[in-house]
Amino acid sequence: MSLILLRLTIALYSIGLLHSFLTIITRKKILFRVALFGICSGFLGHALSILYTWRETHLPVSNLHQALSFFAFVIVLAFLLSYARYRLDSLSVFIFPLVFILTLAANLISSPQQPLPEILKSIWFYIHIPSTFLGYGAFFVTFAASVMYLIQENELKRRRPQAFYYRLPSLEICDELGYKSLSIGFPLLTIGIVAGALWANKAWQTYWGWDPKIIWTFVTWLIYAVLIHYRLSAGLRGRRAAFMAIVGFIFVLFTFIGTRYLGTAHPYIQR
Amino acid sequence: MNLVLVGVSHKTAPVEIREKLCFPEPRLPEALQELKSRYDHEEGMILSTCNRVEVLVNTTNLDDGVRQVKDFICDFHRLRNEFLEKFLYDFTQRDAIRHIFRVASSLDSMVLGEPQILGQVKSAFNYAQTAGTAGSVLSHVMSKAFFVAKRVRSETGIASSAVSVSYTAVELAKKIFNELSGKTVLMLGAGKMSELAARHLTSSGISHVLVWNRTYQRALDLAAVFRGHAIRPEELFKHIEKADIIISSTGASSFILNKTDGERLIHLRKNRPVFIIDIAVPRDIDPEINKVSNIFLYDIDDLRNVIDANLKQRQRQAQFAEEIVRQEVESFVNSATAMDVAPTIVSLRNHWESIRQQELAKSKNRLGALTQDQQAAIDSLTQTLLNKILHGPISELKTLSRNPAAKEHIETIKRILGLKDR
Repeated sequence: MSLILLRLTIALYSIGLLHSFLTIITRKKILFRVALFGICSGFLGHALSILYTWRETHLPVSNLHQALSFFAFVIVLAFLLSYARYRLDSLSVFIFPLVFILTLAANLISSPQQPLPEILKSIWFYIHIPSTFLGYGAFFVTFAASVMYLIQENELKRRRPQAFYYRLPSLEICDELGYKSLSIGFPLLTIGIVAGALWANKAWQTYWGWDPKIIWTFVTWLIYAVLIHYRLSAGLRGRRAAFMAIVGFIFVLFTFIGTRYLGTAHPYIQR
Repeated sequence: MNLVLVGVSHKTAPVEIREKLCFPEPRLPEALQELKSRYDHEEGMILSTCNRVEVLVNTTNLDDGVRQVKDFICDFHRLRNEFLEKFLYDFTQRDAIRHIFRVASSLDSMVLGEPQILGQVKSAFNYAQTAGTAGSVLSHVMSKAFFVAKRVRSETGIASSAVSVSYTAVELAKKIFNELSGKTVLMLGAGKMSELAARHLTSSGISHVLVWNRTYQRALDLAAVFRGHAIRPEELFKHIEKADIIISSTGASSFILNKTDGERLIHLRKNRPVFIIDIAVPRDIDPEINKVSNIFLYDIDDLRNVIDANLKQRQRQAQFAEEIVRQEVESFVNSATAMDVAPTIVSLRNHWESIRQQELAKSKNRLGALTQDQQAAIDSLTQTLLNKILHGPISELKTLSRNPAAKEHIETIKRILGLKDR
């Protein structure tokens, strides 16, 4: 059932993909309302699919299939929230294809549904994983806003406007969105890490395992901590802040996907 | 509907010709009356702006229409026909409709997408209405033209980017700051150009204006105009950090701000961006300053480059607009010809109805006294018969009407059914 719902979700998300393609090719806003509707209903389908699996077993984030699907879900959530606030159509061009690819990849990878080891069953599971994921979703928005900022800044500095100049929002909006999403993502990641430590203590009687994933997550956290510190104290903004946010997100990606090749105690990396 | 349009525009005639053909506003009523009465045109209107003169009529005879309108234009301005011939263009029917739609949508304007033309077309139509020379056909065409213009404006970006220096400055400022309210503009020097730019900025929401000038009195005067503050000549660097936007147009012979000033400025502003517009020649601001992060410097040539890019953007959008016009002309012509068979259908029905009534009256004598029921039966019998006979021809007429080439067929049907031409 949840797989059927997920496939329906992919079909709906593909409208978003189509929108992005048409927007880039024709340079005209086509289908945005339709695409937004598709993404919204896809989001509902996605939510139902996740709830369905949850009811059968547990929050579906314990293998790669589920993790990708859940990450896509979180990104759509982050997009819808920022759209509700800023009405940025241009953001959709970045986000819809990514969401589609993530969901499609989740669908293609079939990982066996493994029961959660008894030792890991804990309330911390429900705090550690969702808040880390939501944090990453927010950081993705920070990343997208930073990329938009750099492109628009480049257009303005070059003083010869091309297509992006007309399509992208103002620098102020890009910067603000980058900052707001950062200041939502950072506490979430912090909560995720703390919850993870408490959970580890309960399961393995240690707060801190020298697991590659944990180390990389900590490095990621440090980068965002430095960024948020300079933003608050020294008024760091614009170009440099955008660069840092992009570097931070590269670390997020590595933590999320890259560390699977290094061996780790984090479940969905183990096959 | 027999539409004829004759005109000149900036594309076909230089200003020396256009000014000769202009219909000044006070003489419009007189011109409209003459246009209508002279050749017995059914309707007429005149659009006269500095870039174009267009005369549109709904006439009785399409073949003579073009000649007649040309004669009217020449005679009204007392010009020789042969002299004007090469500047005038003419369109009839579908082409005339297409031309009107394009003009109203600003697709034929000198500055593509400029907004004034729609208002001018509207007022030209109002004049014709007031003068009583606009009837149902012109109203129909023009209201559709206004609709098309609106559609083009809202569905394409043809008018979305600025094409004047001062609006371009406003637009760039919005691409940096998004909202201009609460922002501060600093005018260096008190030139006409910077005053104009500042005026556009304040009407777009800028709330504070600072003025700096070598002569303090001039700064005070200009500050008073914008309800801003004047800065004393020696105190520029004390206040410069407050400015989000700087417009410079002094007569200084060397740079007022260099790269080091820029770096210091951004440091003082805690990295908040500054938009600098240097419209002075020779330039006031060292171009190197643009290399400082969060400073965006545009000189007069840069602004022109942006305008060029905006115009290109408009041209791209114009392609979408042309497509809209094409669709709308198509749908309008279809509905207009469908409208044209309506009178034929009405007269067809009337003609046969009167035959029915005549025959009923005749047979009444032969049939003698009838009961109410019998009377009704005969009435409904003949009525049904008539409807059934006419059903075929009427639906055929309606189908044919959608095809403009079917005019002859319509005539044939009329003749067969015994309808005299109206």
